[in-house]
Amino acid sequence: MRSIIRRNLPTYFVALLIILCLNFTLPRMMPGDPLMAIYGEEALVAMTPELRTFLLRSFALDKPMWEQFVAYLYQMSRGNLGFSYYHNAPTLEVILGRLPWTILLIGSALILSTTFGVFLGIESGWRRGKPLDRSLLSGFMALTGFPDFFLGMVFLLVFGVSLALFPLSGSVTPYSGLSGLPLLFDMLRHLMLPVSSLTLTVLREPYILSARAKGLPERVICYRHAGRNSLLPVVTRTGIWLARIITGTLFIEVIFSYPGLGTLTYQALLARDYAVLQGILLVVATVVLLANFSLDLLYARIDPRVRHAH
Amino acid sequence: MHISIKGEFRKDTFGQVGLILLIAITTIALLGPIVAPREPNHQTRWAFTSPSTFHILGTNHVGQDNWSRLVYGARTSLLVGFLVACVATLISAVVGSSCALRGGLYERIMMRFVDGFLIIPAIIVLILVSAYTKPRLYLLIVFISLFSWAGGARIVRAQALSLKDRAHIWAARSFGGSSWYVMRRHILPDLGPILVVEFIHSFRRAIFMEAGLAFLGICDPTRVSWGTMMRNAIEYSYMNVWMWWLVPAGLALSITILSLAFIGHTLEPFMEPRLREHVDA
Repeated sequence: MRSIIRRNLPTYFVALLIILCLNFTLPRMMPGDPLMAIYGEEALVAMTPELRTFLLRSFALDKPMWEQFVAYLYQMSRGNLGFSYYHNAPTLEVILGRLPWTILLIGSALILSTTFGVFLGIESGWRRGKPLDRSLLSGFMALTGFPDFFLGMVFLLVFGVSLALFPLSGSVTPYSGLSGLPLLFDMLRHLMLPVSSLTLTVLREPYILSARAKGLPERVICYRHAGRNSLLPVVTRTGIWLARIITGTLFIEVIFSYPGLGTLTYQALLARDYAVLQGILLVVATVVLLANFSLDLLYARIDPRVRHAH
Repeated sequence: MHISIKGEFRKDTFGQVGLILLIAITTIALLGPIVAPREPNHQTRWAFTSPSTFHILGTNHVGQDNWSRLVYGARTSLLVGFLVACVATLISAVVGSSCALRGGLYERIMMRFVDGFLIIPAIIVLILVSAYTKPRLYLLIVFISLFSWAGGARIVRAQALSLKDRAHIWAARSFGGSSWYVMRRHILPDLGPILVVEFIHSFRRAIFMEAGLAFLGICDPTRVSWGTMMRNAIEYSYMNVWMWWLVPAGLALSITILSLAFIGHTLEPFMEPRLREHVDA
């Protein structure tokens, strides 16, 4: 159990370092005075002199580069990710406000796709080479071809616009004054389209992995033994799978105007709110690294070979 | 390796379909001005027209011919895909094989970087970098390439590691062949098939990335892109224009990606099963 963690920790450290260096150097490579390069013209105009001096001081922008880097790391570790001119609030606050919606979306899609994916995968693997296996496999092959955002748009146009079954955008009906159970139903109705598009686009990975799992015995013990075995590759690959899910979530949120981090990224891009873009990159990367780390722990728990290795 | 490319395609219907589709799209893209009746950026006075003999896919919100833009969009997608695939495959070949051959501290440090790059959510980095630099097409190609070589480098390294200890390589080394000589004469040629598969996968991922970024508004304004078409079309989802504006662009993109996915799947046996660890974008 220690070995897998010891092997992976340097990777996470390097990944975080790449992000930090990127966030630090990118704006400083741009021409112009540092504050303007970091925040952009629009932001600088909107800033009060107090905020300007505060940012200049806390990030040591008038000092040499290495002092700036130390100051930068110090501020990041304190959670000071800069200031969003567009939302007129500290960047971290803006991001944390949107994070729950994205977690709700990704969480539901993750549960749904893993459940369906592993279920279909085991059924398919149990009937290897039979018609059901083949048609499922080619179905999933075709599904991967559709880019997430096109699939999302088709969902939007068919179920949202043409059939008008579900709301087109947002996460709750605005100004409806709902609370309690009706609010929950309202949230679920809004979640329906984004979650189903996201689930479909990420379903393939758990499906393929569990269909490929080896040695599928009698049906009765199928789910108890093979199920556990086939879950292993699903868990190990979730780390890399996450990158795909994040890409998918970004597009799906933009298409359905779901108020999570994806839409925030898009708004920040349009408004050239660089502080928010940098903050999102840092927060998302940190979450991904933490998720990978907990998967390592989980993997060590469910795979006896890893558990007893040391 | 006793697998031939032709043989794999003969066996696999998916592969044949993929190949035919890709050839068809490439032909249309290459013919360009011959099949596209108008300049893609030429604006007419008639916006939002329905398909007619004059505009077979109608016109968009500023009166540009949708079919012509679709054809020129194929050029952008294929160009980005091809160039990114070239650069990314080259980087993965160099990094992967040098890691396997050098070993030691160099390998350990490089592999941490490779894994680090794999974990980082590339799309967000690309958005951030593009927001600062507002890249033209060729700079965008460089950026996408920088984030699509890591998975390939892992696979190349694994393959090169297994090649390293084979008899003919030992023979070449014991006759005094330098690392560079061994790499050029023996390792790189044997990596060929794996590099072909990697090439196809990066090709597919790059086309997806380009369209996705263009959909978010990150694109070379002088270029026509399927992503931009979809971005503009979705604004008018309340009209029925999406049927001949958004759907063709989406389908063209999907078919291109699908054909590459099929080809990649067909060539998969080149990757020895133990090494089969490709990464989706």
